[in-house]
Amino acid sequence: MVANEIKLIGIVCERSVDLTDRLDENGCLKEDATVKIIQVPCSGLIQPIMMETALKNGAQGCFATGCRMGDCHYRDGNRFLQHRLEGTRMPKLKPSVDKERVEAYWLSALEYEKLKHLIDEFRSTTDKLGLPEKKMANASAS
Amino acid sequence: MYIEPIQKNIVLPLEKGLNALFTQRYNPFYYHGALPNLFLWVLFLTGLLLLVYYQPTLATAYPSMKFITYEAPFGNAMRSLHRYAADGMMIFVLIHLCRVWFTDRFREYRIIPWLSGIVLLIALFVVGLTGYMLIWDQDAVALTNMTLSGIQSLPFVGPAMASFLMGTWISGESIITNYTVTSILVFHLGLPLLMMFLLWWHYLRITRPVTDPPLALMFMLLGGLFLTAGLSPVILGDQAPSDLNVVSGKLDFDLLFTFPQYLVTALGWDVAVAWLFVLGIPVLLLALPYLQKKAMRGQYAHVVFENCTGCSLCYNDCPYEAITMVAREKNDGTRFKRMAMVDPGRCANCGLCVGACAFKAIDIPRCESPDVLQEIERSLSASL
Ligand code: HEM
Ligand code: SF4
Ligand code: SF4
Repeated sequence: MVANEIKLIGIVCERSVDLTDRLDENGCLKEDATVKIIQVPCSGLIQPIMMETALKNGAQGCFATGCRMGDCHYRDGNRFLQHRLEGTRMPKLKPSVDKERVEAYWLSALEYEKLKHLIDEFRSTTDKLGLPEKKMANASAS
Repeated sequence: MYIEPIQKNIVLPLEKGLNALFTQRYNPFYYHGALPNLFLWVLFLTGLLLLVYYQPTLATAYPSMKFITYEAPFGNAMRSLHRYAADGMMIFVLIHLCRVWFTDRFREYRIIPWLSGIVLLIALFVVGLTGYMLIWDQDAVALTNMTLSGIQSLPFVGPAMASFLMGTWISGESIITNYTVTSILVFHLGLPLLMMFLLWWHYLRITRPVTDPPLALMFMLLGGLFLTAGLSPVILGDQAPSDLNVVSGKLDFDLLFTFPQYLVTALGWDVAVAWLFVLGIPVLLLALPYLQKKAMRGQYAHVVFENCTGCSLCYNDCPYEAITMVAREKNDGTRFKRMAMVDPGRCANCGLCVGACAFKAIDIPRCESPDVLQEIERSLSASL
C-alpha cells in the first residue's frame, strides 16, 4: 500500500472553507493526506458526474463544500448543487450512487475546524462501508 | 484591497454569530435584499390609510394630522408603524448596501443593481425627508423652511429647485403656500412609484431575485415593528404660528432622513460644507466600483459549438441573465435546433452553467470541467 493512499475526494468551493496553507504539494489536506482537495470557484460548478467519477475511480467517498445556504457569492450555486444531489434538479446525481458515500457541507470561510470534524466523521462512516467495488476488484487481482 | 480584510474580520464573524443565533435558514443577513422590500410593503399599506385622512393644505394639514394622531381609529398605530417602517427600511437598505459592498458583490457584472441601488437610496431619502415635512407641526414647518433655504443656497440650480418645491411656479409667491404642502405630498407619493420602476431596473440582471424573507423572519421583524410602535407611539408637536416663514422649532432629528439639517443646526456646519458632504455620498458610491482593479479581466463562459443540445438548463440556472438561447443555422453540422449564447458583459464567470450542463457543452476558463475530472482520475490512479 502506498503511504498516502487517497480515500476521500473533496471538491471545495474556494469561497467557502478557507484552505490557504492547509494543503500539501499534492493538493491533499496537511492534517490528513488521504483527503484530496480540488478547488473550484463556486459549488454551483460541481457536476454530479464529478462526484460519480470520484467514486467510480475508487474513492471511498466524495464530499463537496459550498458557502452557507443563503450566502452563495453567485446567489444560487450551493442551493442548486444541493438540489442536484437530492435528485430534484437536472442534471441529477445517478440514483444508483451510494448516498452514504456522498456528502455536501455548507460552511463559511472561517469554519475549517468544523469541516475537519465533518470530514473525520465522513471517514469513519465510509471506512465502515469498506472499499468501493472497483478497488476491491483491483485489490484481489493483484 | 480593503474589502477582503473587512469581509474576513467583520462580516464573516458577524454572520457566523448570526448563524448561531438564527440558524442559516433565518439569518437576516442572507435576506439583505428582501428585508427592505418587506418594510416597503408596510409603508405602502399604512401610507394608503394615512392618505385617507391627510389633507394637504396650509389650513388643514395640521388639524388632519392631529385627527390621525389622537382621534382616528388606529390612526396613531398607522402613523407609528409608518414612521418606524421608514426607519426600518432605511436601516435595512444600509445593511444591504454595506453587505454587497463589503462582500464584493457590487461591481463588474453587478453594476446595474449597484447604480440603480444608488438612485433608490436617494429616492428613499427624499421620500423620508418629505414625510417629516408633511407632519406640519412647528418642527415640520421649521424643517421645511431649513430645507428650502438650503436648496435655495445651491449655485445655479438652487433657486429654481426651491421655487419648484415651494410651488412658486403655480402660486407666483416665493413663500410657503398651499401649493408647498401639495408639492411636498406629490414628491412623497410620486417617488415611491418611481421606486417601483427603479426596482424593476434593480432586478433587470438578477435571475429570480429573492424579494421575500422566510415567514418566520418576517413575523419576527413585523413583531418588532409593532412592539416599537406600541411602546413608543409617535406624537404631534405644537401648531406653527401663522407667519410660517419665521418659525423656528426645536428640532428632533431623525438621523436617517434629516441628518443634513442636523449637521447644520446641531453641529453648526456651514451650509455649503453640509451640501458637499451630502452630495459626496452618492458620488463616492458611484465611484466605488471603478476604484478597484477588475477581478476577472474579461473572462467569461464559452459554449462548445458541437456539444450544445439547446436543452436550456444553463439558461435556467444562470444567476445573472447572461445566457440567451438562440436558433442554430439550418445544416450547421449538428442535429440540434438551438444553442446557448453567453453575453460576455453580463457573465460572472461563476460556473453555475457548468454545473447545469450534462453535455460537456459549456465551461469557464478559470476552471474547465474536463480538467477537474482529469484531476480526480489522476489523483486516484496514482494512489492505487
Ligand atoms: C429600495 C431599496 C432596495 C431594495 C428593496 C433592494 C432589493 C434587492 C434585492 C431583492 C436584491 C436581490 C438579492 C438576491 O436575490 O440575491 C438586490 C440585489 C442587489 N442590490 Fe439592492 N435593494 C435596494 C437598495 C439597494 C442599494 C441602496 C444598493 C447599493 C447602492 C443596492 C445594491 C444591490 C446590489 C449590488 C445587488 C446585487 C447583489 C448580488 O448580485 O449578489 N441595493 N437588491
Ligand atoms: S450549454 Fe449545456 S446546458 Fe446549456 S443549452 Fe447547451 S447543452 Fe444545455
Ligand atoms: S459563468 Fe455561466 S452561469 Fe455564471 S454568469 Fe456566466 S453564463 Fe451565467
